Formats: sequence, structure tokens, C-alpha cells
Amino acid sequence: MAFAWKASGLTYNKYLSVAARVVRRSLKDDKRLAAERRGEMELRFAKWNNGKQGDVKSVADANAAAATEAASTSS
Amino acid sequence: MLSRAARPALRAGAAASCSPTPRTYATLREIEQRLKSIRNIEKITNTMKVVASTKLNRAQRAMTESRQYGQTSNTVFEQAETKPLEGDDKKTLIVVASSDKGLCGGIHSGLSKKVRRMLVEKPNADIVVLGEKCKAQLGRSNSKNIVLSFSGVGKDIPTFADAQAIADQISLLPNDYSDVQIVYNKFINATSYEATPIEAFSEEAIANSPNFSAFEIDDEVLANLREYALSNSLFWALAEGHACEQSARRNAMDNASKNAGDMITKYQILFNRTRQAVITGELVEIITGAAASEE
Repeated sequence: MAFAWKASGLTYNKYLSVAARVVRRSLKDDKRLAAERRGEMELRFAKWNNGKQGDVKSVADANAAAATEAASTSS
Repeated sequence: MLSRAARPALRAGAAASCSPTPRTYATLREIEQRLKSIRNIEKITNTMKVVASTKLNRAQRAMTESRQYGQTSNTVFEQAETKPLEGDDKKTLIVVASSDKGLCGGIHSGLSKKVRRMLVEKPNADIVVLGEKCKAQLGRSNSKNIVLSFSGVGKDIPTFADAQAIADQISLLPNDYSDVQIVYNKFINATSYEATPIEAFSEEAIANSPNFSAFEIDDEVLANLREYALSNSLFWALAEGHACEQSARRNAMDNASKNAGDMITKYQILFNRTRQAVITGELVEIITGAAASEE
């Protein structure tokens, strides 16, 4: 596979969000505050199984967990 | 909530107006209390209206921008004449873009109704719900179809990070879906919205589209394109849904304030009449008393 990020278990959207975060953090202070507000994400989600709602988890935490898991299985 | 709170008062008011005098003192106080509570409700709804109007401006700007963005992203599929794959073996995924907050008229139930109609056609479709309101509604009727639900949507103008995170979770779902339909409220004008689906296609559907060869896309990047297009469409749907919600809330609160104003004038008149009746009654008593003691 040609992409290093794909080999390490990231999805394209995840790759984009990491890249966007890096760009936002490297901005100058005044612009950075406005830009970082655009990057905020406080979603929570729950998986449903057979008509029952599962545990409510934060998306950010779950993403991190999924990424490490994918990285460990693919490498 | 509002109408439920207001209704008993209305009924009591009607009862008070048709059965006069015997308990005038009590009803006078009751009317005064009711007037006070209606005034408080009017204040609340008025404030919510003002808040929604200010938010609406920003939301509408975000909506026009994101609509442009989403449409541009979909131009590729229009030019390639992509169509969803025909065939019953693959599943459809329906993404419902609602939000967490209520008090904005019927826009959430409009979405739920649209989804239910779609489910009649495709009974084995899976649902991903964004926002608490539609989750509660669809959870009651179609809980078996729901695979994922998100909350925390629509507190502020949705960001692209939100859309990406949702698209990410959707692409991590175990099933492979032949097409993804994102149902959102389309903003037609300030008073009318329509629940509309946007299509997001699967890799196979994109690869099989008639004009696909014109774009010279490598197979390797096709999956990326699909994920990216999904989050673009989600962002569009979220932003437009948010603008609709704010505008609907503004209208709902406007109506509520107007109704409260009507009720206030009605109760004010009732209050003045009752007070006058009490005074007249007292005067009559005094005069008859005086006339009786003179003789």
C-alpha cells in the first residue's frame, strides 16, 4: 500500500483530521484560537444492538482506542 | 411543554367566566396568578426567540457555505453519473441528521416520519441517528434498525470535525452498505423545510458509474474519495439541518410569544371585569344597607 497512514491503521478522515489539527496548531496565536474553535468536537455515541442502546461513549476516546487497536493488528 | 402548561389555565378561565359571582374574591386572585405566570412564560419564549434569531444569522451563513461545499463535492458523482447499485442483497444505511434540542416545532418529527416512510420501502435498512430527539422518536418505533446513535449534535454550528468523526464511525461499521442516504431538513425558506435525502455511494457504485473513466481515479484512492465524500455530505446535512432548526425555533417561539400576548390581553380584560363586578357588588350592598338603616 502506498500510504503510510493507511498501513498504520488510520482511515482517510482520521488522517485528514490529524493533518488539520497540525495545521491549526502551527498558526499564529490570534488566528489559532479562532481556528481551533472550528476543530472542536464533543460528540458522544452509542452502539445499538437488537433494539437496545449500548453504553454512551465519547467519540474522541473511542477513536483513539480504535486507532491503537488497528495499529497493533496491522503492524 | 408550553401548550400543556397553558391549557388547564384556559379551561379554568372559561369555567370562571361562565359561572359568575359566588366566589369572586378567589377567582380574582386566581386570575392574577395566572396572568403572572403567562407573563413569565412570554418573557421566556421571547428571550428564546431573540437568542434563536441571533444564532440564525450565523447558522444561515454557515449553511450557504457548506451547501456550496457539499454540492461541489457531489459534482464528481453527477458528472460520473453515479447511481446506487440495484440489488437486494446489500443493505442501505439511513443517516438521520437531527439534533439534541427540542422546542422548535415539528422539524424533528418531520425527519422521523420521512425515515419511517423510507423504512416501509426498505424494511431491512440500518439507521444511524444523530441527535437525541430523533433517537427518542425512532427508538420507540424502529429500535431494531438502529445501529449507531450520536448525541451532542447541534449545540453550536456543526464543525467539519464533527462530520469527520461521524463519517469515521460509520465507515468502521461492520456491514458493507450499498448506499448511504443522509436524511436532513432542506431549507426552502424561513417557514418551510423539507426532509430530503442526500446519496453517498459505495465504492462499487462509484466504480460502476458510466462516466467514471473520465476521472482517472486509481483504485487505491477510491476508498479515500468515498470516505471524504461521506463526510462532506454529512457536513452539508448537519449545517443545513442546524440552520433549519434555528429558524424553526425562532418561528415557534414567535408564535408562542404571540399566543401568550393574546392570552394576557384576554385575562387582563377578564380580570378588570371581575374586579369591577366585585366593586359594584360591594357598593350595592353598602347602599342597600344604608337605605335599610335609614328607614
